[in-house]
Amino acid sequence: MKKSVLIIGLVIAAGATFAQKKVTTSAIVSFDATTSKDALPKADNKTVVASLDTKKGTVAFEAIVKNFAFSNPMIQDHFNAESWMNSEKFSTAAFTGNITNLSAINFKKDGTYTAQVEGDLTIHGETQKVKTTATIVVSGSTITTKSDFTVKLEDYKVSGPAIGAGKVSKEPKITVSAEFK
Amino acid sequence: MSNEKKKPGALRKKLLIGGLIFLLAGAAVVWYIFTEKFADTTGEKAAYTVTADALIQEFSQNDSLANIKYAEKIVVVSGIVSETESADTTINIKFTDTTTGSYAIFAFQEQHLAEAKAIKVGDQVSIKGSCSGGAFSKILDAEFITFKRCALN
Repeated sequence: MKKSVLIIGLVIAAGATFAQKKVTTSAIVSFDATTSKDALPKADNKTVVASLDTKKGTVAFEAIVKNFAFSNPMIQDHFNAESWMNSEKFSTAAFTGNITNLSAINFKKDGTYTAQVEGDLTIHGETQKVKTTATIVVSGSTITTKSDFTVKLEDYKVSGPAIGAGKVSKEPKITVSAEFK
Repeated sequence: MSNEKKKPGALRKKLLIGGLIFLLAGAAVVWYIFTEKFADTTGEKAAYTVTADALIQEFSQNDSLANIKYAEKIVVVSGIVSETESADTTINIKFTDTTTGSYAIFAFQEQHLAEAKAIKVGDQVSIKGSCSGGAFSKILDAEFITFKRCALN
C-alpha cells in the first residue's frame, strides 16, 4: 500500500515538473530593419522553437535563420548572404535567459504581467547580453508572451554597404511572440 | 557642306535618345527587382519529392549534408499530420517522428492559410514549400526542419 502511494506520488510529481516547462514550435520572431530609404528589409520567422519554465523563470528560443520569410527575393538573398547574416555558416539564432522578477508573475492567475528578462542572444555567431521587458498574458492554461527590443548590428559583427548607406537600419527592431498551451 | 554641319547635331540627338532609353530600361530593371515578390509556391517546380519520414531521417542522420541538398529548394513532403499549431493568425502543420521527437514544420503562404486551417491531425497530406533547412534543437533535444511559403500540393 505504502509502495503504491509512493509510486502514485512520484508520477504526479513528475507530471507537475513537466507541466512547468512549456514549449511551442510556432513562436514568431519578426525582424524590422526598414528605414525611410527602404521599406523592404523586414521578415517573419513563424517556426521558432521557444520554451518557458514557469517555476524556474527560464526562457529560451531557437530560430533557423533561413526561415525568415521576406516578401522580396533579392532582399532575402542579401539577408542570408555571406556579407550579412551568413546563414550558411551561422544557421541558427538563439536566446537563453531568465525572468528576473519572477515573483511578480502569477502563472496560475489570469492577468497581464510585465516581465523583466535578461539573457544571452546569439546572432551571426556572436553572443551579447540582452535586457528587455516582456508582456505576459495568462488566460487559463494558455500563456502568451510578447517582447520588443532592438539590437545593434555592429555588436553582432553584421555590416555591409546597405547598412552604411542607410537602406538597412543599424538597430533593427526584433519582436518575439509565443503562445504556450 | 550644310549636310556635314548637321551630322554632329543628329549624332547628339541619337546619343540623347539612346541614353534616355538606356536610363528608362535601367529604371525598369531596378523597379522590377525592388517590387518583385515571391511567386505562389503552387506554381513552382519541386526539386525533390519525399515522405516526411524519409526527410526527417535524412536530416537526423546528417543535417549538414541534408542542408546542402534541400535548403532553399522547393520540396514536396507527404505524410500524416501529427500536429497543427496556431501562431498569431497563422497556423503551422507538423509531421513528427514519434520515436525521436524530430519533426518537419510548414509555415504557409498568406494565400494558402485557409487550406492550412482546414487540415486536421491524422490527415494524410502533401505539402509543397521552400525548405529552410534543419538543425538540432537544444530546447527539444531533437532535429527540426523548417519550411516557409508553403501550400497544399
